[in-house]
Amino acid sequence: MSSRLSHIAVRSPRYAAAAVIALLFVVPILVALNTSLKTPAEIVDVFALPSAPQLENYRIAWAQIGRSFLNSAAITIPGVMFSVAIGAVAAFPLAQMKGRANRVIYFILLTGMLVPYQIVQIPLFSLMRQLGLYNTIPGMWLVHAAYGVPICTFFMRNFFASVPRSLFEAALLDGCGPARYFFSVLLPASTSGLSALAIIQSRAIWNDLLFAMTLTNSQDARPVTVELSALTSSLQIQYGPLMAATLLSIVPVVVAYLLFQKAFVRGMLGGSSK
Amino acid sequence: MAKEKPAPYERGIWVVYLLFLALPVAFFLVFYVYPVIDTVLTSFQRWNGLSPRRVDVGWRNYLALFDDGRFWNSLLNNVRWLVFYLFVPNAVGLGLALLLDRMTKGQSFFKIIYFLPYTIPPVAVAAIWRWLYEPNAGLLTSTLSAVGLGALAPNWLGDPAISTYSVMGAALWWSVGFSFIVYYAGLKNLPQECIEAARIDGANAWQAFWKVTFPLLWPSTAIALGMSSVDAMRLFDIVWAMTGGGPAYSSDVLATQMYDVAFGRLNMGEASAIAVCLLVAAAIVVMPFIVFMSRRVARGVE
Repeated sequence: MSSRLSHIAVRSPRYAAAAVIALLFVVPILVALNTSLKTPAEIVDVFALPSAPQLENYRIAWAQIGRSFLNSAAITIPGVMFSVAIGAVAAFPLAQMKGRANRVIYFILLTGMLVPYQIVQIPLFSLMRQLGLYNTIPGMWLVHAAYGVPICTFFMRNFFASVPRSLFEAALLDGCGPARYFFSVLLPASTSGLSALAIIQSRAIWNDLLFAMTLTNSQDARPVTVELSALTSSLQIQYGPLMAATLLSIVPVVVAYLLFQKAFVRGMLGGSSK
Repeated sequence: MAKEKPAPYERGIWVVYLLFLALPVAFFLVFYVYPVIDTVLTSFQRWNGLSPRRVDVGWRNYLALFDDGRFWNSLLNNVRWLVFYLFVPNAVGLGLALLLDRMTKGQSFFKIIYFLPYTIPPVAVAAIWRWLYEPNAGLLTSTLSAVGLGALAPNWLGDPAISTYSVMGAALWWSVGFSFIVYYAGLKNLPQECIEAARIDGANAWQAFWKVTFPLLWPSTAIALGMSSVDAMRLFDIVWAMTGGGPAYSSDVLATQMYDVAFGRLNMGEASAIAVCLLVAAAIVVMPFIVFMSRRVARGVE
C-alpha cells in the first residue's frame, strides 16, 4: 500500500508537468481557433470567448485561399506519387551495392538532402521558364519529384537493404528477372516503407514555400503556403480571416498526422536516422 | 574474391540496373549539378534574370557583398540560429523525452501533442505567432498586461534589437517536436539493464543520466545536432513569412537576403554570390555530420 502511494507521489508531478507543457503546445492553436470564430470587434480581447461563434472569417478566408488550397492538393498528391516512385526505382539497384560504392552513394544522397535549396533557385527559375513549366502545376510535380530524389532514394535504399538478399537470389534462380522481382516481389513486400515515405513527402510538399515562391506567380498554380505568406506579410492584417486561413491550411497535414501517426513518426526517423 | 563466371541469371542484370538509374541520375544532373555550377558562374556576372545579356564582372559581386553591412548581419544571424538550434530545441526535446519515458500511461497522448506543431507548415507557424506577438492585443502582450507587467512588453517583431529572438520563440514551438521524437525513440532503444545496473551500484538518478543514459544516447544526439545545423543554414520560411527579414533587415538570414536580392531586386549576380557564400557556410557546418553518417554506414551500423 505504502509503496503504491509513493509510486503515485513520484508519478503525479511528472504527469502535472507533462500536462502543463502539453497545454503550452496547444495554446497557440487554441488562440488561433478562438480568434477565427470572433467578430472584428471581439478580436481585441484575446482571452474572451466569442459571444456567438461565427464562420464569417472562414468564408472570407476561403475566398482568399480556396483556389490555392486546391492547387496545393493538385500539386501534393501527384508530387508524392512521382517522388516515391522514382525514389523506389533508384533505390533498388543501389541497395545491392556494397563497400566503397555504397559509401560514395550515401555521401552523394546525404549531400543532396542537406544542401540549402536556395543555391538552386536562380538557375531553376530560368530553366523552368525555358521548359515552359513556369507557373504550372505539372512543373511543380517535376520539381518536387526531382528534389525528392535524394531523400526518397535514401529512405527506400535503407528499407530495401533490410529485405533479406536470399529472397532476391531465390527469385533469380527461379528465372524471375530483376525487374519482375522488383515489381512483383519487392514492392508489394515494402508497403510499410512506401507508406511512411509517402506520408513524410506529403508533409514536405504540402508545406513547401521556397520552390513555390520561385516557380509560381498567379492563381493558376500558386499553393496555399504562398498565399498564406502573402496574407501574413500584408500591411493591414485582418487577424480573424488570417487565423481562419491558417487553420484551413493546416487541416490536411494535421489530419494525415493524426490518422497515420505511427507511419509519420517512423518516416521522420527513417529519413534522418539511417 | 576469385572471379567466377557469372551465373546465367546475372547476365543482363546490369542493364536493368542502369535502366532503373537513368531517370534519377538525369534528374540529379539537371536539378542539382547543373544549377550549382550555374549559380557559381552567375556569381561572377551582372544579370537581371530575364534578359539574355549577362556581363562578366569578376569578383565585383563578392566585393560589394563583403562591403555591405546587411550581409554580415545576415551571416551573424545564421550563426545565432545555429547556436540556438544546436542547444535549445535539443535540450528541451531531450527533457520532454525523459519526462515521458518513465510514464506508465498516457505516453502516446502526450507524444501526439508534443510532435503536432512540427507537422504544420512553417508559414502557418509564422501566421499564428505573428498574432501571438501582436504588440497591442496579441496573447503575449495581453498576458503581461493582465499580470501588471504591460509596461515591460516589447514590440516583439517590430524592435530590431529583439526581432530575431522573437522568431526563434516561434521556431522553438515548431521544431522541438523533432528533437523530442528522436530522443524518445533513442530512449526506447536503450538497454534498460545498463541504467538499472548503475542504480544498483549506488548512482543517483542524476549520475545515472550523465554517466550512462546520455552517453548511450549519442546516436540520437548526433542526429539531433546534425539536423539542427542543417535547419539553421537553410532557414527561410519562418523568417520570410514572419518578418520578411525586417525591420530594417534586423532578422535577415542569408537565405532571405538572397531571395530578396534575387527576386525582389533582380540582381542575380549578387544573389548568386550570397548563395555561394551560403553553400560554403553550410558545407563547413554540415559536412562533419555527413561524414559521420556515411562512416556509420560504412561500419555497417544501420
